[in-house]
Amino acid sequence: MGFLQAISIVDLQARASLKSESSKLALSYLWWILEPILFVSVYYIVFSFLLNRGTENYILFLMCGKIPYLWFSKSITSASNSLLQNKGLVASIQIPKTLFPYINLQEALYKQWVVFLLLIGVAVYFDEVPTWEWLWLIPIVILNYLLIVAISLWAALLVTLVQDLRFVVNMSMLFLMFMSGVFWDIRELQDEYWQHVLLYYNPLAFLIDSYRVILIDQGTLDYQHLLLITVLSTVLIVSAHFMYIYLNSLLTDKILRN
Amino acid sequence: MSTAIELKEVCVDYKIRNGVFNAFTHQALTNISLSIQEGETFGILGRNGSGKSTLLQVIAGLIKPSKGTVDYGRDYSKALLTLGLGFRPDLTGADNAMLSLVLQGKSRKESRELLPLIAEFAEVGAFFNQAVKTYSAGMRARLGFATALTSNVDILIIDEVLSVGDLQFRKKAENAIANQISGTKTVIFVSQSPHQVAELCTRAAIIDSSKIIVEGRPETVAEQYLENMSSARVNQKIVKPKVS
Repeated sequence: MGFLQAISIVDLQARASLKSESSKLALSYLWWILEPILFVSVYYIVFSFLLNRGTENYILFLMCGKIPYLWFSKSITSASNSLLQNKGLVASIQIPKTLFPYINLQEALYKQWVVFLLLIGVAVYFDEVPTWEWLWLIPIVILNYLLIVAISLWAALLVTLVQDLRFVVNMSMLFLMFMSGVFWDIRELQDEYWQHVLLYYNPLAFLIDSYRVILIDQGTLDYQHLLLITVLSTVLIVSAHFMYIYLNSLLTDKILRN
Repeated sequence: MSTAIELKEVCVDYKIRNGVFNAFTHQALTNISLSIQEGETFGILGRNGSGKSTLLQVIAGLIKPSKGTVDYGRDYSKALLTLGLGFRPDLTGADNAMLSLVLQGKSRKESRELLPLIAEFAEVGAFFNQAVKTYSAGMRARLGFATALTSNVDILIIDEVLSVGDLQFRKKAENAIANQISGTKTVIFVSQSPHQVAELCTRAAIIDSSKIIVEGRPETVAEQYLENMSSARVNQKIVKPKVS
């Protein structure tokens, strides 16, 4: 299967799924924006009102954390089930199984661009003057996507082989929510050692921090670390593609006998 | 005529894991050797659980045999048509058909142009733009058959799809298959109906307990199948309930 045909299939099926999903909902496509807004509102109520922990610009701060986190966790959770979910297609035609996670990721990506526009809108609303540095959002979003692809491909592969791992994926997402500074600021940690560990070894924490660096203008971007995560994600993606080819028969067997 | 598919001493073992320490192994196919020519309509008769579906999955290239080899004359496009599978139930019939066509290598433009043809052949009417999960079993089978036929694959493998649906559609589908015989399309199809096999196929085989037991002219094979079935029925013991 050629690269262009694969892209065409991913795009076609992602659009069809989005259409079918929204046709079931009374508010249809509006949920793409409503859902993140509701999530952010809940956190805002709990942390700003009840716990009185909110800082200045807390809504923007929360959105910079919650929006990339939601994209990350929803993509990976959905992609990790994508192979088992497509038993019907696997049972009828020979297609590269890497397509399935990409289809689910594409679905999430199509929803995401509107949400990012909302994020930028809110940033402008809170008097953050757009600067040239904001262009760094483009590589950050691309890197965010690469990281999602890398983890999704491996998660989908492993969950298909050992279904028990589905629970591990779900738990890891919850764990990452707490460890990535989604609703708190890692830079405010008293212990500098842990601050370094979280920002250096947890790529999601690093990315969320980078969104804040750009949009709220706190600290500076670590370009070297950006490059490191790009290289690592690429290595993971390429190796995953080889594993899918190498384990193809075993994967088919697992999916058909699911 | 050139060989389309050549199976040599194919075995397929399944290992089904029940818990950490228990595994159950089952041989679904035992030493199957079979050669199917290009343009042939090959029928496979067999009872439930005889290994038919596994054989079709091997022929479609979906699963690799545990032992033995499968060779194709060239790089054919293949599609396996199975009842209730091959569709994403949440998507509409049109989206599913479109997706199948693009997966078989058609361009989007070509596929879009073929959609009305599929809708008409499948006789699903206004349901074409509804989710497939709202379809009856017959409608699903018709949509599957119409899509597979239209996608014009080199090797079309049909697993009992023609056993559902009403008589009128079955006749239409059988005609469509019969018309393919003159072409270069290879059709392999599984059926429980010896009459259908005798009528449509150029060659046939019976598969029983994971082995091919007879292979040859469809009329002879169909006759043999009927005989086997009736002798199986005679051998069945009838246990009367005890009356106290």
